[in-house]
Amino acid sequence: MNIQDNYLKNKKNIFFSENKDIQTHREKLINIFENDKFDKKNNESLKNINLKNFIDFKYKYLIPEETSVINNNQDNSYSIVSVNGQCSSFKDDKIEITKILDEDYNDFSKNDTIEHNDHFVNLNSLFLNCGFKIVIKKNNNIKIKISNIITDDDLTIFQKNNYICEEGSSLNLIEEYENKNNSTSNVLNVIKLEKNSQLNHFLIQDNSPNHNLIITSHSSCKKDSTFNQKVYNFSEGYVRNFHYSELMETNSEADLQGIFFLKDNNISNNKTFVKHLAEDCKSNQVYKGILNDRSKATYFSNTHVDQAAQKTEGYQLSKGILLSDNASYFSKPELKIYADDVKCSHGSTIGPIDENAIFYLRSRGMSKIAATKILISSFINEELSSIDNEQMSEIIQKKLVRYLSKVK
Amino acid sequence: MNSETLNTLDSYSKNKYKYGFVTEIDDEKPKKGLNEDTIKFISLKKNEPEWMLDWRLKAYSKWKKMKEPKWANLSFPEIDYQDIYYYSAPKGFEKKPKDLSEVDPKLIETYNKLGIPLEEQKVLAGVAVDVVFDSVSVATTYKGELEKLGIIFCSIGEAIQKHPDLIKKYLGSVIPPGDHSFSALNSAVFTDGSFVYIPEGVKCPIELSTYFRINAENTGQFERTLIIADKGSYVSYLEGCTAPKRDDNQLHAANVELIALEDAEIKYSTVQNWYPGDEDGKGGIYNFVTKRGLCAGKNSKISWTQVETGSAITWKYPSCILKGDNSIGEFYSVAITNNFQQADTGTKMTHIGKNTKSKIISKGISLGKSQNTYRGEVSFLRKADKARNYTQCDSLLVGNQCGAHTVPYIDSKNNTAVIEHEASTSKINEDQLYYCRQRGLSHEEAVSLIVNGFCKQVLQELPMEFAVEAQKLVSISLEGSVG
Repeated sequence: MNIQDNYLKNKKNIFFSENKDIQTHREKLINIFENDKFDKKNNESLKNINLKNFIDFKYKYLIPEETSVINNNQDNSYSIVSVNGQCSSFKDDKIEITKILDEDYNDFSKNDTIEHNDHFVNLNSLFLNCGFKIVIKKNNNIKIKISNIITDDDLTIFQKNNYICEEGSSLNLIEEYENKNNSTSNVLNVIKLEKNSQLNHFLIQDNSPNHNLIITSHSSCKKDSTFNQKVYNFSEGYVRNFHYSELMETNSEADLQGIFFLKDNNISNNKTFVKHLAEDCKSNQVYKGILNDRSKATYFSNTHVDQAAQKTEGYQLSKGILLSDNASYFSKPELKIYADDVKCSHGSTIGPIDENAIFYLRSRGMSKIAATKILISSFINEELSSIDNEQMSEIIQKKLVRYLSKVK
Repeated sequence: MNSETLNTLDSYSKNKYKYGFVTEIDDEKPKKGLNEDTIKFISLKKNEPEWMLDWRLKAYSKWKKMKEPKWANLSFPEIDYQDIYYYSAPKGFEKKPKDLSEVDPKLIETYNKLGIPLEEQKVLAGVAVDVVFDSVSVATTYKGELEKLGIIFCSIGEAIQKHPDLIKKYLGSVIPPGDHSFSALNSAVFTDGSFVYIPEGVKCPIELSTYFRINAENTGQFERTLIIADKGSYVSYLEGCTAPKRDDNQLHAANVELIALEDAEIKYSTVQNWYPGDEDGKGGIYNFVTKRGLCAGKNSKISWTQVETGSAITWKYPSCILKGDNSIGEFYSVAITNNFQQADTGTKMTHIGKNTKSKIISKGISLGKSQNTYRGEVSFLRKADKARNYTQCDSLLVGNQCGAHTVPYIDSKNNTAVIEHEASTSKINEDQLYYCRQRGLSHEEAVSLIVNGFCKQVLQELPMEFAVEAQKLVSISLEGSVG
């Protein structure tokens, strides 16, 4: 079934399909799909993807019977269980959670600083069926943990979440995606950081082989704000991590980091894109990947420095280790610079584990596998040791041990 | 060059009847536009055998179905292929200046800075020279020497007549006519270019250059160069010239194919300084070049060195296909863009054989309102065991209205291959500038010194005589935009 028929058939289950304004926007999106036809040859971001799963899919969405749970623990921490992308409303003097509204949709689709040429984000806008909005009120320091649960098999979740950190606030956000059923989630996080706010965003992804996760984030940073993101991808299913960041005002920072661990026939597509639009901003993009068996990965990183963005510092680093001769890694670290007083660099390496290092360890009596495992752990040690949350650090260590146990 | 030059050229071209050049060549006048008749006309003029014509027509039929590649970071008005002459425009079609006094003084100034002898200046500026130019005798001397060694060095047209076996075997073997629209276009209508064959075990004693080839003053708009280095041979080939070159053809689409067999080495150096358009970005040459080398045999080596300072648009990716085991590909590039120039240049290293190595050093300098992009692909195929690549691309920005972009594509399908890529973008270091100024250099001299240092890694790869000129050329390219 083509996208248009699919949309028309399921229109009644899709958010905001009554709104005229949104309707016209969606018609435009359908036109884009019709014209482009997901042309794989001229679109690198579609590399390795089995498009059939995403274009020719069976739309299915269930409104969850059990409602989500919001616990307000002590010391400003909240834990949320979101079911099928839904979250019930909640309000206290520090945070406010509501359903996503028409205006949030328009706010995103009419934002011109964002490049709207990502097919999967457009699919998300077209079939939107769930999502919520969290506002962190002024000058609060909050911790939130969100577990995303999907109740049934074969669900297609198209979720849009908005996070707004008001002036002077700080949010530690941990999101867990650990699904064991055969569903597809297409999640878009729209993040707004007001003046002097901070967001530390952790994403832990550990899905079963038949679960597809497409996660995209768009963050915009105002003056003196900081956005840190760390992605840990242990999934056995397909994962697409595309994260865009716009540094709108001076002295803002974006740090996008990720690690992915792939094995079997696993595929992972990653992208980070930082747009420097104002002076004195800093950005950092670091992705590391370990690829075993027949796995495939792509990583696109992009630093765009606008003419106005003098005194920019923008760094990129991508590193990949291929453990098997059937694995493949494609990386494209891109710099687009229109200002002259900048410090920008990128580095990219792909290769096997250093043979000399293995030799050194083996000459000290270690087996080859033990040596390999130690070197993999040290490869990502920097990213793991920087986690200041003990509980999270433990979770990730466990997952790493599980991954390493399969390495032969 | 500036708008003045253009005006001068314009006024000359308008005066074409005054000297009565037109009548005698009237019957040879080719028609504008591209169709099968044009190709038949070219083939007939060149007295080509039928298989060559068939080859051209096949390429043309492919071209008809193709679109221009769009991925480059360039913007230019659409090319009207039907508004172009495909057989070199006959002499007198545009009027040439009579002597050097009629040539733009700024151009002469540049020649003097480069230290080009007077006689050569005339040729470069397009002055109608009556005296037999010295290089012809030089060329004949060398030609004898080359023939003794069994080296074939002639125009591609001559090679089609005299060495059809080699042409049939190798032409289009590295760049298939259907590769992309510019290669198809070139295959259909190419009119000039060089052919080089180095026999087994021969080391070519001199640096070959079109300059030494008789009848090569008119470098064609659609050049086709084919260089074959047989087993164990070596050749160094120079293309282009440091002097700014006047040319009336706006579209250039050259194809260069290199083939290195077992243990052979080819070194290909280019200095390109075509007319870049005036200070407002008007005019200038569109340079769409496809250059590709095939390391066919074991232990072969191909090395590309380029200094790109001219052309309004440069679209050029000299690549290496490393097919033979232990083969080596190298790419050294300096690209300087000024005013409204746009350059999208880089390389493509495809590792197929075992233990293949490649090295890429690219230096981009953007000034004025120009856009300079490095675009390079390094790919390791499944069987490229122990392959190795090192890439370094640095960009330097002078002024705040230009852009420097780096777009590397890195693809590895082999877990024993190692790939390293690093890139940086910055402006000229204030401390270095301060140091130089303190020692009494002017601002312009200081910048030129620093930029030359920035490019040194590449310039030192050029053959001796080119290297000296290229250094001067770098300084000249920076003039007027620094300070």
